[in-house]
Amino acid sequence: MRPLLGVLQARLFAQRRIVFYSCAAAFVAGLCQPTGIAAPLFLCSLLGIALALAQSPGLHPHLDYCEQSAPLFGRELARAKALVPCVAAAIAALVFIIAQALRGTGGLPLTLAIALAALVAATLTALSATIRRGASRVLYVALAAATSCAAYAFVAVVHSLVGELVFCAVVAFLALRQYGETLARYDPI
Amino acid sequence: MRDATFATVGDRVGPISIDLHHGGRAALVCACARDAQIVSLLAAGIVKASSGCVLIDDYDPRVQSVACKRAAALVPHEPFALDEREFARYVAYRAALWNVELRRAQLHASLLRKRLAPMHEAFAYPLIGALIGMPKLLIIDRPAPVYAPTILNATRGRALLTVHADAAAARAFASNVESVAAGGRS
Repeated sequence: MRPLLGVLQARLFAQRRIVFYSCAAAFVAGLCQPTGIAAPLFLCSLLGIALALAQSPGLHPHLDYCEQSAPLFGRELARAKALVPCVAAAIAALVFIIAQALRGTGGLPLTLAIALAALVAATLTALSATIRRGASRVLYVALAAATSCAAYAFVAVVHSLVGELVFCAVVAFLALRQYGETLARYDPI
Repeated sequence: MRDATFATVGDRVGPISIDLHHGGRAALVCACARDAQIVSLLAAGIVKASSGCVLIDDYDPRVQSVACKRAAALVPHEPFALDEREFARYVAYRAALWNVELRRAQLHASLLRKRLAPMHEAFAYPLIGALIGMPKLLIIDRPAPVYAPTILNATRGRALLTVHADAAAARAFASNVESVAAGGRS
């Protein structure tokens, strides 16, 4: 648990500016957007993907060195690194909901639940792109975007909240597992 | 290391053979800075050898990488500029990653800062961070020869492997200097 919290704290501090800008964007969107699920779901997923890509090696080389040389299993490091963009994007989603509440929009707990589920699935899928290059990197980002679209389809077309939650949970589980396995084999050169 | 090589499409380093026992010192000289960086990552068990074998405290990084990383610590070449508050945060971060008690890590860090006082802080901080986990083996990537006496004093009792791109710098750290064959680059 300590390494997990250590990585979360260090990375959130190192990326405090991007987290702040994400929250500011979410606040403005929350104030301006018309009611509906599309904006929170896609905006929060997009922020999650951007924050996931901000974990790419090379952006904070000393954090990368420390984490690569730390006595942690691949799955432990994967969980810790995955928590960072998920928490940052969840904060942005919360800020969006606060802005919506200021406008007097109703049904916010449900909107938050739908947006959180989609952003976690999209963020964890996009994390695999951070340790890949070229076409496979683009493919994982596209997969993350497709995950958001599928989550939206469950809510807006199929009208199944449970379906969306189950779909996002399954995608998130598989994505985290895949990321952990890749990270365990990852060579920084 | 026994005939350890690292080879990818773009890089090839080695074969390297070196034995380093508890408390011993050795220096490796590589053909260029890139090779030195790869060799130090290889010696710390962060990248895996393509052929040959690397054993750290009798553990193989390909099988028991966590045990290897607990025994060996790497100090990267790049300096690390931090202010006082950021340094305290860095110590807490390293302590959390290595699961070292925070108070003990802070005391250890302040003791090491006194010992490394002659060094520029940007070079001393990564070294302090690496020593917080109490490694048996310390690998330093291209340390500055001007800091050799200070580094040797601070790392007494631990096995020390320094990797250089310059033979003169290597001789400042160890009498046992080995050259790494340049593998070529495509």
